[in-house]
Amino acid sequence: HFDHNISPTIGASFMTKTVPCGNELHKFLIWDTAGQERFHSLAPMYYRGSAAAVIVYDITKQDSFHTLKKWVKELKEHGPENIVMAIAGNKCDLSDIREVPVKDAKEYAESIGAIVVETSAKNAVNIEELFQGISRQIPPLDPHENSNNGAIKLGKQTSQTGRRCC
Amino acid sequence: MCTAEATASLLQVEETFSACLARINTLILKPLLQAGSDQKGKENFKLFLLLNDRFQALWNLTEENYCMLKQKHSSSESFCIQDIYAHHKTVLKQFLTDFTSETSMSLALYTVLHKPIRDHIEHYILLLTKLNEVLKEGPEKDVVTSAIKEYVKLESFVSQVLDEACFTKSLWKSLSYKFTDMLCVPERRLLEDSKNLPISASTNRSDRILLFDDVLVLIQGNSFQSFDLKLVWVDENLSLFGSYYVFFTVGPAILFLCPQAVWQWKLNQAVRQALNGKRDFPLWGKTGEGTKPPSCRFFTYVFRLEGKFKNTSYEGEWHWGKPHGKGTLKWHDGRNHVGDFKEGLEHGFGICLVPRKSEDRYDCYKCHWYEGKMRGYGICEYGNDMVYKGYFKDNVRQGFGILENFSAEHPFKYSGQWENDKKNGYGVWEDKDRGERYIGTWLDDHKHGQGIVVTQSGVCYQRTFHADKMVGSGILLLEDDSVYEGNFTEDLTFVGKGKLSFANGFILEGTFTNKSGQGLQTHGILNTSNEQLDDRITKVQLGLEEFPVEKRWKGIYDQFLEFIHSGCKEETEESFTGFHIQTSKELRKSQEYLFCQKYEGTEDVSWKTEDILEELVQHQELESLQSYLEKALKSSLHPLGKLLKALTIAFQATYSGIGANRHLLTMAQEEVKYYAKKIWEFYQGLLHLALEQKGQLPSKCMDEDTSDEKACSVVLPLILPCFYPELFMLYMLYHEREDDLYCQGIVDLSLFPDIKLLEFLDVQKHLWPLKDLTLTTNQRRSLIKDKCFLSATECLQKLITTVDPREKLVILQKTYEEIESTVSRVVEKDYRLPMDDLLPLLMYVVSRAKIQHLGAEIHLIRDLMDPANRGGLYDFLLTALEVRKCFQQRQLEVAVAFLE
Repeated sequence: HFDHNISPTIGASFMTKTVPCGNELHKFLIWDTAGQERFHSLAPMYYRGSAAAVIVYDITKQDSFHTLKKWVKELKEHGPENIVMAIAGNKCDLSDIREVPVKDAKEYAESIGAIVVETSAKNAVNIEELFQGISRQIPPLDPHENSNNGAIKLGKQTSQTGRRCC
Repeated sequence: MCTAEATASLLQVEETFSACLARINTLILKPLLQAGSDQKGKENFKLFLLLNDRFQALWNLTEENYCMLKQKHSSSESFCIQDIYAHHKTVLKQFLTDFTSETSMSLALYTVLHKPIRDHIEHYILLLTKLNEVLKEGPEKDVVTSAIKEYVKLESFVSQVLDEACFTKSLWKSLSYKFTDMLCVPERRLLEDSKNLPISASTNRSDRILLFDDVLVLIQGNSFQSFDLKLVWVDENLSLFGSYYVFFTVGPAILFLCPQAVWQWKLNQAVRQALNGKRDFPLWGKTGEGTKPPSCRFFTYVFRLEGKFKNTSYEGEWHWGKPHGKGTLKWHDGRNHVGDFKEGLEHGFGICLVPRKSEDRYDCYKCHWYEGKMRGYGICEYGNDMVYKGYFKDNVRQGFGILENFSAEHPFKYSGQWENDKKNGYGVWEDKDRGERYIGTWLDDHKHGQGIVVTQSGVCYQRTFHADKMVGSGILLLEDDSVYEGNFTEDLTFVGKGKLSFANGFILEGTFTNKSGQGLQTHGILNTSNEQLDDRITKVQLGLEEFPVEKRWKGIYDQFLEFIHSGCKEETEESFTGFHIQTSKELRKSQEYLFCQKYEGTEDVSWKTEDILEELVQHQELESLQSYLEKALKSSLHPLGKLLKALTIAFQATYSGIGANRHLLTMAQEEVKYYAKKIWEFYQGLLHLALEQKGQLPSKCMDEDTSDEKACSVVLPLILPCFYPELFMLYMLYHEREDDLYCQGIVDLSLFPDIKLLEFLDVQKHLWPLKDLTLTTNQRRSLIKDKCFLSATECLQKLITTVDPREKLVILQKTYEEIESTVSRVVEKDYRLPMDDLLPLLMYVVSRAKIQHLGAEIHLIRDLMDPANRGGLYDFLLTALEVRKCFQQRQLEVAVAFLE
């Protein structure tokens, strides 16, 4: 479904997405955060109240995988309790110039108890699976805290500028 | 007999009658008149003079008629008899109404005076009957027939009047001197006597009952009781023992047992005639005929019997022996009650003036009464310049109320709960002299329990009070962000053990003494190792645990709840929900208000309770509900509008003026949200009732979660404008320091030319809207200011002109769209901004919009926005704005350095 040119829906800093999960529909409210280092200190404002976080790295850049680890650490320390974490290795369509091995990502994800998927935003590979995976792990609604008729707020983190996913 | 013959015989009759009258005049009346001029019985002589006048008038009339008849007879054969009879009839009737009233003349005189007239009337009837026989059907015959009827009536009237006179005369003769002395008045006539028509009364075992034309007399032994007929009501009851009659008058009801209905009928007729002020014509119709007297009457009466109303005089409407309807009650001591009565007691709206014991002044109560006691909403203007506006119960202040002292000496205002005429429960006291406000609990007119005091200078403290005295230690929050915990006096001097934390983190712990003239002295330890006090201490929010929002202003909610529980009756609406007062001027007119139309408001919509309930049912769909609620909440007549008004007053009493203190923000914010919740609850209550009354069961029971949400999304935006000035002031105070810092930053950034600022904020170069910069010859591109993203900037500036968080969020979204469309124009394609691009741009726009109290705005929106927006686009944008603001503070120094 994705054009080589950036589609208008890609890149927006706020999106919604509805994912079927069993008998329920989960509505994701997806927030983009600034990945630039200078905005790093402001990130807590973005992930407060989030139910899940998607942290994206570029499989063709080892650096981005390191940055990802910093985000994970931060979320573990300051993020909401019970936040569902997912690691997305983007640009899997460019696996011929891969720098981050699948094995590394899998092992790391296991160690932190996160979902791991390799995706391609360009070719829409595994995007649906990623959100389905998150859906399954999201705990049942706490009626007191949530008021969004079954919707769950999600924080989505991009680890690097220019790395986008939806 | 033809018309001519009839006229001829009529002429003859008139002539004879006239002659007869002339004879009576010369032979009887004239001598009597001469003899009577020096008579001692003035009363009787007066009546005789009246008789004489009437006689003369009758004679004159007869003469006149005779002359006229004669003339007509000679000149014309066909004249119109209608004129004559019509004339005759009315005049005769008129002066025969109370013709015979002499009491002590001899029988002969009596006969002489009435015999010719009776005979004359008989002649008339005879003549007319004859005439009637020869006339054909037609208008003329009708006139004659009705004339005959009138004459027959006149005839029976005359005989009835004479009978009554005889009857009365013989009564006076038969009664003992003691009674006649009291009862005998020349005009009084006896209508019925229990000796003639047996009846017995249940109370007092009366020996005899006399019915006069103005009073009813019960005789028992040597004493008697008389009752004004105007105050007698006759009620028919049927029981196992046959029918009996109860008659009511002021005091206990009296029961009559009577085998016949005649007494009841006679009593009723007598009462009706007494009320009309004149007798019927003829005096009595057939038994059982005639209308009953009205049960509601207007009358003045002085209560003599023991009881609440002893020695009071009541002027007003009566019903079955009791004041009922509108009336005025006056006490001997000058107390005065004007208003509605029901079954003998004050009930409904009334205005009562009570003189003060020592001064020549009055307490004026404008209030609702219930079964003789004040209950419901009222206003009391006390003689000592105090005014109470609020609820009463059992004659004392109870529930929510505001007491204000307007006198120059010690002015104050109390808004809060009352029990048993005293301040009890949660209330706010403002001491205008000291410039202090106490927010807390009361017990029997004393500050008692937890309390917060805010002062004019901005200092505020929380203490425990015991009978107006402060006990234990408290927390004192000073303007410079330092906090003192310990014991201190009302003048805010520290005494005894305490801990003083300065804003810079220094902590002084010790024992403080304060001798006059020697300044503050202390023995203690100063700890300088701490870091700066954080917001949790300097911005501590007071009153949240001590005064849970559900316990504040309960008195207001209770009344509305009771109103709904009582079924929302139109007549009780005002006593529960307060008066409809649009302006204070109108209040002064409340005296007039008593008797004028209540719902003549300036609004063109009807706010009668029944209409309100009907409208509620019709406006259940969200959109129409919103517009309906908006209208209702704005109206000063709708119960919900009144509730909002009351809450606004309570809110302002707490948080306006001195109450604008940052330590009260959360209290205020919670309170506004709770108002919305309560208003929604009352709306639901009203709707439930309306549906019930229509026989429809409410479709579904809303669970509490959705109800809270609705309150927030539907009601809160509608009521927020009422509380916005005070609430926003609190937000501004709370965020004062960081907003000031931020403002300084904005001022610094405003020195940046557009391009410099874009560069500084790291906006990617390909997004710079350089096309927007049109240069004149002597301008340099790099120095242009306030041109880029102008549309977005202007859009964001509208934020301060709105109140509703919903609208503010829409403005935010539009700003975002403006930025995006500007960028799209620049890059010449649809462009969605990722966060890394959006943030710098948003920073740019916010810096240029120069919103002074951005922190206050953001927090107000976040606290009060519809929770349904949480996590959505609005929330996202708001967070972006917040991020931007925080970010700027941190980057301030860098910015200045960059500029240089």
